[in-house]
Amino acid sequence: MGKLRALIYKDSLLLRRDRAGLCMMFLMPMLLVVVMTYLQDSTFNSIRETRIPLLLLNNDHDTLGIAMERQIEASGIFTVSRNIDGKDELVRAVARGDYMIGIIIPENTTRNIRKNVKRYVVSAFNGENLTANTDSVLVEIYIDPVTKNSFRSTLMSNLREYAVRTESDFIFNEITEEVDKLSPIPVSGLQLARNQVIFKEQYAMPDKNNAIPNSTQHNIPAWSMFALFFITISLSGSLIKEREDGSFTRLQTMPCPYHLYILSKVAVYLFVCLLQLVTIILLGMYLFPVLELPSLTLGSHKLLLLPVGICSALAAIGYGIAIGQIASSHQQAAIFASISVVIMAAIGGIWIPVFAMPQSVQWISAVSPLNWGLEGFYDVFIRDGNCWSVLPECITSILFAAACFALAIIYDKKRV
Amino acid sequence: MQTPVIEIKDLRKTYKGNGVPAVDRLSLSVPCGEIFGLLGPNGAGKTTIIHILCGLSSSDGGEVTICGYPLKTGLKEIKRLIGVVPQDIALYPTLTAYENLKIFGSILGLKGAALNNRINELLRFFGLEHSKHRRIGKYSGGMKRRINLIAGLLHQPKVLFLDEPTVGIDVQSKNLILENLKEINRNGSTIIYTSHYMEEAEALCTQIAFIDEGKLICTGTSAALIAQSNGCVTLEMLYLQLTGKHLRD
Repeated sequence: MGKLRALIYKDSLLLRRDRAGLCMMFLMPMLLVVVMTYLQDSTFNSIRETRIPLLLLNNDHDTLGIAMERQIEASGIFTVSRNIDGKDELVRAVARGDYMIGIIIPENTTRNIRKNVKRYVVSAFNGENLTANTDSVLVEIYIDPVTKNSFRSTLMSNLREYAVRTESDFIFNEITEEVDKLSPIPVSGLQLARNQVIFKEQYAMPDKNNAIPNSTQHNIPAWSMFALFFITISLSGSLIKEREDGSFTRLQTMPCPYHLYILSKVAVYLFVCLLQLVTIILLGMYLFPVLELPSLTLGSHKLLLLPVGICSALAAIGYGIAIGQIASSHQQAAIFASISVVIMAAIGGIWIPVFAMPQSVQWISAVSPLNWGLEGFYDVFIRDGNCWSVLPECITSILFAAACFALAIIYDKKRV
Repeated sequence: MQTPVIEIKDLRKTYKGNGVPAVDRLSLSVPCGEIFGLLGPNGAGKTTIIHILCGLSSSDGGEVTICGYPLKTGLKEIKRLIGVVPQDIALYPTLTAYENLKIFGSILGLKGAALNNRINELLRFFGLEHSKHRRIGKYSGGMKRRINLIAGLLHQPKVLFLDEPTVGIDVQSKNLILENLKEINRNGSTIIYTSHYMEEAEALCTQIAFIDEGKLICTGTSAALIAQSNGCVTLEMLYLQLTGKHLRD
């Protein structure tokens, strides 16, 4: 025990004296979690609050065109501008990036739709089929080329919804008017209830869970995992530094078993990882509301954070020790550790949810230790899981750590 | 005849990718209480021998016994009895001298007041008492060498391995180290010492072994070896006679 205590004392002193390393381990993840959550949160806010600049060229000037214009304005998403002379100018303005979107409602849109409806109703009363001979109306939409695909899809789906709503209202009114002309019983007076199908959106969670999935609930676990694995750079570096400055050689000549040397690293870095985790959680709970970000809610099984945190930290520590043991120089370890962690984070769902990844990549994410930890944290933070739900992730993380420690020990023996 | 503290029989070692053996069927006996000089040119195999004896490298064959313990099965016991001063400074540069010695002393099994007293005693002995709370990185080359030496002496080892302990230091530091090594030897430690400084070896060592190309050339006291030589009057002349004047890289 005396030896282990001495080694822990040594490792904690070395860490305390490495100010830059400590900053990297604590300040960088904190900064990362704040920036990423803020960015994600503000993306939604920018749509809701900032409003998207839209250039509208309404060549219809009749009921449907005006109704579509009003619907777009009433959505609250767009700032509508109409100072435009023609199609070419509209396209140029959008291409320049002055507007994110440009819409051209063609001439005679109302008249054409009205004509179509009239033909439909008349032919319906006469028992004819007219489906093949309708004149459709082409509303042109131009989008700024720099707009991301995901955002473009959201925009288009919103616009389509407004257009369909306006069009159906208009067609409904037109049909009732036409039917009134032809039918002895007027139908326009009928109070037909609209929007009878109501969507109730809610998260599938147990009743007692008070955690609302939001950017904070997603980002804190994701970036906590990233931060945990970021210590591999410092940890592998410390192993190589000890080898390079000869102090590890001295330890090898002393009655100091390698497993004690590793155990001391595990103890010190586990403490660092847990401190890191607590810091990020406290940041989410107390600093985020001050920054007008959603506050972090821990869920009803808070204590499960400890096993998930410990197992994920052990996986990260094992990985760092294995890299430190195998790499032959500080640069090699730093480059490999940082790139591999970024790749494991990317495939592990830290930046993009796993379900949104291509099918071929999804199975790879299942072998990322960051994904195991992330799923474990999601179980606690969002899904309100219990011991059994976090057990698989904890076991896989521990097995990964054990494999890494074994690899380090084998390499150490090989080196002698 | 004194009991050998180190017994080496037919020791062999060839590094991977290198056809020439670093240690070639070397047999050697180091009597207890000696200051035993392992001398030879660069690449002669001195450091490899010390690395094998300390458990830092494995051998390809042969037998080694240190303080009665076979190296293959008794490395754990051997490590308690030996002290090693590596050729390069083997200390934590960001820690103070006292912190370094406290850590190494604790690993060597010392604790509490005994450890503290021993650290202070050795720091006084080597003239470093007043700078013990300074970080190693801020020390001069000679000071680092002395702390490097102290770290190997904390537990009063029965056998002390010194791999070129006076490289790159001033005359004062070298003199202090050599004087203190004699004192340590008088207190009961057998010293195995490698160096390229023949004058230093002549003044310090009670027994000498010349090694070249991994083989033992001859062994004995410096006076006896010089007397047996072909007209050499110094150890350096004998060294050049035995190992030749061509450069070794």
